[in-house]
Order: sequence, then C-alpha cells, then structure tokens
Amino acid sequence: MTDKHLSSQFDSELAHLSSHLLAMGGLVEAQLRQALEALTDQSDEIAEAVLAGELRVNAMEIAIDDELTHIIARRQPAAVDLRLLLSVARVTANLERAGDEAAKIARMVRSIVSAGSHSLPLSDLRLACDLAAEMIAKSLDAFARLDTTTAITILKEDIVVDREFDGFVRKLITYMMEDPRTISASLDLLFIAKAIERIGDHAKNIAESVIYVVKGADVRHRSLTEAEAEIAEITAAENAEKIMDAHIDFGQTRHE
Amino acid sequence: MNFIVILLALLLAVCVALLLIERRRARRFVRWITDPAHNPMPEMSATWGLAAAYTRRALGREQAHANESAARLATLLAALDALPVGIVLLDREGRILFCNAIAAAHFELDPARDRGQHIVHLVRDPAFVAWHEQHADTPLEMTAHPDAPGLSSRLMVQRQPYGDDCALLLFTDVTAQRQTEAMRRDFVANVSHEIRTPLTVLAGFVETLQSLTLSRDEQTRYLALMAQQTTRMQALVADLLTLSRLEGSPPPGMNERADLRELTTQCAAETHALSVRLYGADAQKIEIETAPDFDLAATPAELRSAMSNLLANAVRYSGAKGKINARWSRENNGGARFEVADNGPGIAPDHLPRLTERFYRVDRSRARHAHGEDGTGLGLAIVKHVAERHGGTLQIISILGQGSRFALVFPQARVVAGQTEKSL
Repeated sequence: MTDKHLSSQFDSELAHLSSHLLAMGGLVEAQLRQALEALTDQSDEIAEAVLAGELRVNAMEIAIDDELTHIIARRQPAAVDLRLLLSVARVTANLERAGDEAAKIARMVRSIVSAGSHSLPLSDLRLACDLAAEMIAKSLDAFARLDTTTAITILKEDIVVDREFDGFVRKLITYMMEDPRTISASLDLLFIAKAIERIGDHAKNIAESVIYVVKGADVRHRSLTEAEAEIAEITAAENAEKIMDAHIDFGQTRHE
Repeated sequence: MNFIVILLALLLAVCVALLLIERRRARRFVRWITDPAHNPMPEMSATWGLAAAYTRRALGREQAHANESAARLATLLAALDALPVGIVLLDREGRILFCNAIAAAHFELDPARDRGQHIVHLVRDPAFVAWHEQHADTPLEMTAHPDAPGLSSRLMVQRQPYGDDCALLLFTDVTAQRQTEAMRRDFVANVSHEIRTPLTVLAGFVETLQSLTLSRDEQTRYLALMAQQTTRMQALVADLLTLSRLEGSPPPGMNERADLRELTTQCAAETHALSVRLYGADAQKIEIETAPDFDLAATPAELRSAMSNLLANAVRYSGAKGKINARWSRENNGGARFEVADNGPGIAPDHLPRLTERFYRVDRSRARHAHGEDGTGLGLAIVKHVAERHGGTLQIISILGQGSRFALVFPQARVVAGQTEKSL
C-alpha cells in the first residue's frame, strides 16, 4: 500500500518535471519564432525582446536542474525512470543552448539593423530558420508523446538543415567576392546561419533523447541508417517479447 | 465385508469422477462466459444449462444497454466534432479528454493518440501556458500552431468549467475579424492620405497666388495645375461614392437590361479620348470590337463603370507604345466574357491576389509620376464588386514583361438575346 502510494507520488513528480521541461520548451520555441520575426522585419525592438526572454530561459534551466537533482537523490530511480530523468537533463541543456542561439540571432539582427540594410540573401535564411524552429517544436511534440516515428523524421530533417547551411555559405562567398563592402554584413549573416544550423543539431539531440527513453538505444554519433537499423531491431525484439508474454499468460490461465 | 468395501470404493470413484466432470463443465462454462467469442458454448446438463440461460439473458440485456449508451456517446461526440469552433475537454489535471476536429487542426493534435496528454505539453505557447495555469476567467487571444492551415490564425480561447473540476476550452477563430479591423483602419488612413495629398498641393498654390504677384502665364499654369488636383479629388470622391453604393444596394435584378453595343461604343470613345489626351494621337493602338450579338441582364451604369475602368487601366499602364484589344465573347458554358488585353509591363504574381484591394498599387511611385493623370486606386475594387454583384468574376492573367489580360466573366443566367436587330 505504502509502496503504491510512494510510486504514484513519484509518478506525479515525474509528470511535474515533464511539464516544467515542456513549458521551458514552449518558451524557447517562442524565442525562436521571435528571432525569426526580428530577422524578417529587421526589427530592433523584437530583437531586444528576444534578449530579454533569454534570462527567463536561463532561470528555467536552473530550476529544472534543481528539481531533477532532488528527484534523483530521493528516489534513486532505475530502468525507464532513470532513462527519462537522464533525458530530461539532456533536453534541458539542449533547449537552453537553442535559446542561446536565438539570442545570438537577435544580437546579429541588431548589428545588421544598426549598420544599415544591404541587398543580402535574407529570404534563404528565413526558410532555414523556419525549418529549424519547426524541428524544435516537433522534437518537443515527440518528447511529450514519446513518439519515436517523429523523432526519426527529425534526424532526417537535420541533414536537410546542414545541407542548406553549406549552400548558404557558398552563396555568401559569392556575395562577398562581388562586393567587398558587404563583407561585414555577410559575416553577421554567416553567424546567423551557423546559429540556425546549431538549432537544428539541438533538435536532433532532443529527438535522440526521445529514442533513448522509449527504446533504450543510444543513437548518438551514429549514422541515420545505423540508428534506424538498431531501432528496428529493438522494436522487433520487443514485439517478440510481447508475443512470448502473451503465450506465458495464456499458459498460466490454463494451468489454474 | 469385502463386497461393501469394494462397493464403497466404487461409489467414491463414481463420485470423484462425477465431481471432476462437473468441475470441467464449470470451467468450460466460466471460460465461455468470460470470453464467448473465442470459446465454444459447452453442452450443458440441467443445472448448468439453467444457469447459462439466465446468465445469457442477463448478459444480453446488459450488452444491449451498453451498445445503446455507446451509440449515444458516439452521436454526441460526432456532434461536438462537427461544431464550427474548436473544443477541448480537460480533466482536473489538465489532461485532454476529448478534442474536436477544428481544435486538432489548430494545434496539430491527434484526437485519438493525444487523449490523456496534458494540454500544455502540446500547446506550449508561453502565453497560453500562463493563462492555463492561472485558470483565468478572461478570454485569451493567441496564435494557432504555425503549421496549422490558414497561416498564423488568431484564436480567442475561453475556459468554461464543468462537472467535477473539469474544464471546456472553446477556441474561436478571430483571424477574419482582426483582418477586417485592420482593413478598416487602413482604409480610413488611405482615404485621408489620398485626399490630403491633392489638398496640400492646392493649398500651396492658393497661398502662392495670394502672396505673390504673378504674370498672366504663370497664373494660367498654376490654375491648370490646381484644376488637375481638383479633378483628381472629384474622381476619388466619385469612386468612393460608387463603391459605397455598390456595397449598400441590393444586387441588380434579372429584368435589368444593358445594351452592350451602345455601352461598348461609349466606352470605346472614352478610351480613345483618354489615350489621345495622355500620349497624343496615333501613339497607342486600340482595337475594341463593338458588335456583340447579345445583351446582359445588368445595370447599365455599373457595367459601364466596370468596363471603362478596365479600359482606362490598360491605357494608363501600357504606355505610349501600348496595344490594347478588347472584345465581348461567349464562353463555352454559355456565359459572357469581356476581355481587355494589353502589352504593358505586366504584374508580378505576388501582387495579383491583392490587386483588387482598395488603394493597393503595385508601384506607388510609378503610378503617381508616370503622367499627370492617374487612377484613384479604387478602379479594380469597383470592377470586382460589379462582377460579383452580377454573379460573375474578375479574372486576371498577367505575365511580367508580356502584358495583362483582365476579363469580366458573367454567368449564362445573365445573358439575354440581343435587341440590336429589333432596334435596327
């Protein structure tokens, strides 16, 4: 009885922790959308708002880490609970860094605005930034639903963002060669592009954490095909186990 | 003695056997009753048969009752699903009990998979999360999921508590409302701007005439410029009145008659005059076919205004080397079509959807300075209104660098046999 009571309290602690983590995720998502808006409208004010929001993201990171430490110290979790807590720690760190990148974009936008406008390829960046923000949103959805299918699609999308980044760098170089006066603005854009690329990486890391919680497979630093193969293997094993369990259950009821 | 012992043993054996058989029957019975789909109905002796019959009847009643309840629930949920607003039902912890199709589309939810999920885990907009946690009574305005259909729709969300600490969230789409508000604000700002510009010019000349002594020639020139500005203001006011009349009056009835031959002749004369005034004689090549063999059930004044607006636009935007072709024709489906084609600069695709908005100009600076006389910015809005009031449409096809085609298309119901022969 006591045991059940304790574990259900543990469950509610975990639920709270997830809620806080996803609330932080929502904040980072909003930061990214705002940074994108600042970039699109070339707005100094919106960029300022992003920089202000960054402080809240940092505060939430510390609060979640604190909560996490307390839970681990008191409950000494194992198996899936331990994987979940480890993943919460990883996701928090990744979200905080994605938030940092959003702030970085805002800072660059301010620098571009104060330097005056140039005819630089901003629309490409907007598309990439939109894609990266969407990836973060999707990775958080996948975390909330513990949905590995979406997590795998995010791993694939990260490849697209990386490719966009490479293409963008080549494009910027042609701009800089054509007109050396655009170099300093181009460098700002390069930093923005790099920040967007990093946001994509953070989304990918979050997706990997989802896979780790659900499947127990660590697919970090693996190629996409390897990761997919491992996940398929684990799923197959799980299914086999389920069938075995069903047989055992059946057998037991027969014997009674 | 021996015989008695054997008899007893036999009796015992029979008893045990009977007991075992009975047990097996009981077990089969239990198995059948718990899962009738996968286990055959056992043959039954009197006692078990009676029990089975009663149980079966009771179960049947229960089943019918359950089926009826399930059907009623399904109807109710289908009704909720069909509501034109977004609805999410939450339990006391804020977990999703039900969400209808519209709410699911707003936030990219999956009604089946996301049941039992905390709403703030999936709708993570910080403003919404804060609002949700405060259990605020006041409605909140927020944006839908960025990927949801209808780019960045604005939603108004309200909370309605019900039952045991549960809550109903009601999402209303207020995008159209916000757009209308923005349009009204823009409209007032635009009208004021359009009127203030010629007024400023006029005031400047009046001041000059008052304070400086000018030669006869200068006076004439200034007065001509002033006349130009007043004409522009008159045209603007006339167009505004036309628009408000078009908006305020009921659609034209089917017994109206517009004599296309006469209208087209009038419009052609006007168009030639305008072209000559702007670019001089023989600059533009204008061909207008004036002999359609049918008429329209349309208000002549409105139709004339629409036609002359399209023609005047073609003259203004195709420049001194413009070629303009206009004609009435019949559509394959029996409708009628008035098409004006020019070889002007064309219109970029991103401008096309907004072209019929009031005061929308593709290129403000060029429209204003190309020549002394320009449009009011209301022309296409009027044309579109006229077309729609007659059940028709305004079609625009344009290719940058090659020219544009504007077509007024009317449905067959509006086409009537021409009166031209009778009048001849």
